[in-house]
Amino acid sequence: MTMIDVSAQPTAHATEVTDPRGTSGQRRRRGVRGSEQTPRHLRANRTAYLMIAPMVVLLGIFVVWPLVYAFYLSFFEISFYKDAEFVGLDFYQYVLTDPEFYESLWIGLKFALMVVPAVLVLALMLASFIATLSKRMAAFMKTTVYVPAVVSSVVAAIIFVFIYQDEGVANWFVGMLGKGPIAWLNTEGSALPAVAIPAIWLGFGVSTLIMLAGILDIPDSYYESAKLDGANFWQRTRFITIPSLRNVILYLLVTGVTLTIQEFQLPLVMTNGGPVNATNTPNLYIFNSFRDGTPYATSYSLTAALLLFIVIGTISIIIFRVVSSEKSSDA
Amino acid sequence: MNRQWYAPRRLLSYLLAAVIAVTALFPLAWMAISGFKGQTEVLRSPFQFFPDVWNLDNYRAILEDPAFVRAMGITFLGAVIFTVASLVVNSMAAYAFARLDFAGKGLWWVVCITPMFVPAMAILLTSFVVVSKLGMLDTLAVLIVPGVAASAQMFFLRQFYLNMPSAVEEAALIDGATRWQIFLRIFVPQSLGPFVVVGIASFLAYWNSYVWPVLVVSNPDLTQIMQYLATFRSARGNEWGMLMAGSTLAALPTIVLVLVFQRYIVNGVRLAGLK
Repeated sequence: MTMIDVSAQPTAHATEVTDPRGTSGQRRRRGVRGSEQTPRHLRANRTAYLMIAPMVVLLGIFVVWPLVYAFYLSFFEISFYKDAEFVGLDFYQYVLTDPEFYESLWIGLKFALMVVPAVLVLALMLASFIATLSKRMAAFMKTTVYVPAVVSSVVAAIIFVFIYQDEGVANWFVGMLGKGPIAWLNTEGSALPAVAIPAIWLGFGVSTLIMLAGILDIPDSYYESAKLDGANFWQRTRFITIPSLRNVILYLLVTGVTLTIQEFQLPLVMTNGGPVNATNTPNLYIFNSFRDGTPYATSYSLTAALLLFIVIGTISIIIFRVVSSEKSSDA
Repeated sequence: MNRQWYAPRRLLSYLLAAVIAVTALFPLAWMAISGFKGQTEVLRSPFQFFPDVWNLDNYRAILEDPAFVRAMGITFLGAVIFTVASLVVNSMAAYAFARLDFAGKGLWWVVCITPMFVPAMAILLTSFVVVSKLGMLDTLAVLIVPGVAASAQMFFLRQFYLNMPSAVEEAALIDGATRWQIFLRIFVPQSLGPFVVVGIASFLAYWNSYVWPVLVVSNPDLTQIMQYLATFRSARGNEWGMLMAGSTLAALPTIVLVLVFQRYIVNGVRLAGLK
């Protein structure tokens, strides 16, 4: 611990100055007390600093320092054979002109388009259903849908590789429909959807619970008056549930897309990006180019990671804009 | 909503619930059952759901593999230390930000909350450089320490502390209690629910992590359970029965954790308060 303290000090200071998100001020809610200014004797500088010190020091060393360092290194050419050399924006140019980078982005996007809508629809249906159940049944169902969410991606990947074997369950099912066995993970067209299935399986539980919490907050009177007007289940879902859940859906959409596009443990274990890069998601591409050990791979892959960081931020903002510009019945 | 249903309708909803439960849990059940199948049976055509003979060999062999037992043990130890350390670090900071007033609070708040928006991959490579410069590679510490401070968890706990009534706290202050005493004797004992929620999140994050251990640990004594499973697949990829048995045992602690604490987890989603 002491060793860490010493080295952390400079980074912590550096952050204060360079931190880009200057949205501090308005966070200082103080519960019951109306006035902003606390009497001097209630100030607790020493205690407070001691309490936040471990957090600040750890984040400084293991998040802020690596982040600042990544930006710094992205301007250098690093190689094992000679000293790092300043190259300015060269690596940004390399990454941005590399077709594989765009290909991986496109794959990540396709992957998110397979996973996120499926998770949202599934979660909405399950949550609507669970909301109609008796208390005890609902508790059982909530636990049931949540169990897959705690399974690690590695275990999920292994289970699904097994399911996709030539003699596995997936092919048994296809066989019942009268089709021949499919090499799910070795066929270019089917590999990405085959990796998307475990992602959906891992993700739908938490989304369902969050949607359910949202549905339970909708006043019953909305549904009752809709029923009096003769609205059926689909109409109630379309005109009451979905508009009322707008913020919840927006939240799940943004977090879902940003997290899904970053998925790489599933393809790493299931296909390692193959066949022919069909499952090479952006982070897997970055991870593999880092491991690949060719000269300058380090500079290249960390620059790519930073660019991806920016791309993902932009995507989140676009989604946020699009969804929040739509009309809604309930503000 | 109207819950006075007719009997057939209720039966139908039970049926639907059963179908959903079976579908959701199928992959796990399939994994556990396949662990009971012998080498010739595990991928047999024509397809058969249950084994002819429930065979314990795979589970026995896995449990007798010292590497597996060691990986489970060291991962469990690491996960417990990690969980406790996370709770200590994040709840202290959460209390300070929720309940204390101090110079530069806004600034420190930004420092502590911004990391929530930094994706792991953006700093993965330089984190590796940092821990290797600190001489932490191939230690238990490198698996635990870097993830202990978690902005999202601190935020979650802070929201909880913001909503706690301040009357008791003020009475204690008048009686001469220090802030530390108030935190430890009043706030911590009332935090059981939120502590369970973030504690489980920490435990799962540690237990399920794979990429970080692969990068920073090569000592077989420190091999983490997911690392063990993944190497198992590449080295002995065809022994599906063994792999399924191993995966089942590796997933078991997390599933047990959910079943034990299910009530807290389901409420925790509401605690998290999406507005």
